[in-house]
Amino acid sequence: MLRVEGLSRRFGGVYALENVSLNVEPGELRGIIGPNGAGKSTLFNLITGHLRANSGNVFFRDEAIDSLGAHARAQRGIAVVYQGARIFRGMTVLENVMVGAHRRTRHGFIEAALRSPRSRREDEAVRLLSAALLTLVGLGGLGDRPAESLPLGQQRSLQLARALAAEPTLLLLDEPASGLREAERHHFAELIRSLRASGLTIVLVEHDVPLVTTLSDRITVLDLGRVIAEGTPAEVREDPAVIGAYLGSPRAS
Amino acid sequence: MQKGHSAFFALLLGTLCLARFLGESALSLYVLFALTAIVTVGVSLLMGQAGQVSLGQGAFYACGAYTAGVLTTHGCPGAVALLVAPCAAAALAVVIGVPLLLLRGHHLAFATLAAHLIFLSVIGEMTVTGGDVGLQGIPRLRLGPLELDSVRSYAYLSSLALVAVVVVARNILASRPGRGLRALSSSELAAASSAIPVGRYKLAVFSLSAGFAGLAGGIYAFYMGYLAPGSFPVLLSVEYVVMATVGGLGTISGGVLGAAVVLLLVHALSRLATTSGMPMSAPVILSYAVYAVLLITTVLFLPGGIVSLVAAASERASRRSAKKASEAATSSSTTPSG
Repeated sequence: MLRVEGLSRRFGGVYALENVSLNVEPGELRGIIGPNGAGKSTLFNLITGHLRANSGNVFFRDEAIDSLGAHARAQRGIAVVYQGARIFRGMTVLENVMVGAHRRTRHGFIEAALRSPRSRREDEAVRLLSAALLTLVGLGGLGDRPAESLPLGQQRSLQLARALAAEPTLLLLDEPASGLREAERHHFAELIRSLRASGLTIVLVEHDVPLVTTLSDRITVLDLGRVIAEGTPAEVREDPAVIGAYLGSPRAS
Repeated sequence: MQKGHSAFFALLLGTLCLARFLGESALSLYVLFALTAIVTVGVSLLMGQAGQVSLGQGAFYACGAYTAGVLTTHGCPGAVALLVAPCAAAALAVVIGVPLLLLRGHHLAFATLAAHLIFLSVIGEMTVTGGDVGLQGIPRLRLGPLELDSVRSYAYLSSLALVAVVVVARNILASRPGRGLRALSSSELAAASSAIPVGRYKLAVFSLSAGFAGLAGGIYAFYMGYLAPGSFPVLLSVEYVVMATVGGLGTISGGVLGAAVVLLLVHALSRLATTSGMPMSAPVILSYAVYAVLLITTVLFLPGGIVSLVAAASERASRRSAKKASEAATSSSTTPSG
């Protein structure tokens, strides 16, 4: 599904990511953990297309996507939930989710200007789907609210609904639990678990080690820009390199 | 934005009726208003939705005018020329925009300003456009059996065009591409990750705004019957930006309101300046200074423009009810937010 081969990225002379390879199977939930500065965010941005690699390749469904921009990768079915509150301000909660469905609809400026039958049909279908997704993530009934009026936890859920509106083949989550309260975190974990059960391939980049170990099928551990371990949560937990470099270190959270 | 639309539409139909009942002397001001509003609606979308400033809308206006003028003086039917005019302006915007929209920041503002100046000097040199002397003898517009030869007929035509532009802009904003535009004006990063081609969409709205200006320019050509480079000074482009800002960026009603308010104000001031007893320099000072004062006042004290004042009252009422709803929602969920 997602294959990363020998990916490297330097900032100045310093490697943020050095020769990283990993292979995510269809239907898998892959956790990516590592201490601060391990290169998690760099890897994330290289997969989404917001950063370009110095060397190495990213394959999505056996297609090299290195030269594609972020929107073209999204068009191919990679959806993203960002760490920050990357919602669309000035739009309603429902409209935010509808933007996510951009990928699966076709009508452009001319058809929209003329209110063509297809544009009406698509808008109506997207509206229904988006309302259903809001209910799924626990935001039912809030569709008409301005998106920025939601508290952070709900904004994260909103991002998830937006990502799902694209009906993605791969869902990338960047620290989805950060800044969430305990109850919100629990709710979010439940959502991820149910998505995983529905067969969606998920890559979860996360700081919260207990959360990742309960959710993931396999875990990749990064440290100082390199992969230091990979395996099931049980294997990774026992790995001496991980214990030494990460779990046992005072930097662990 | 959706809420105020039916009221706004009624207002627009009201202005259409103005074309019927206004006196002869006010009609020419009315035509000027409708043509200007067509341009400012586009400017408002461009600045508010794509976050780009164009100081070259006057050039697109001129491009539409000259396209219509040159085509009809060479025997092309007026109706066809009027349709080609916005297309030519939109195409010019694509040519200018492709290299510029790849860059960030205020490149587009400077480049469109330069494009405006270049356009004027090119027109001043070319023989087909009549050079500096101007293009004369543009026939009156003929639509089938109808010949538009009175000011009132152009008032009808320009207000119909304004309604068409408003409807088109409204439809776009309420639909898939419009949601994409509004999304990218908030976060380009998240918009791109929602599969929205950010650069292409910015170019599209730039081209659309130029098309609006071209349409207004086309009508202007038939209305005036004579075009010269001097009719399209750079100040024209600045005026559009000021009007859109005063009205309220990103909104359709802001574009229309801004054009109406600024034009009426300038008109009133120029009448005041030409009353007896005023110094010789009064007309120039009053007409130029008003743009500066308006722009600064709006940016400092009313960033949302006039529409934000209108919206404030109804919004305050709806926010009060929304607050009640949110209090009910948060108290029913497990943890209230801090």
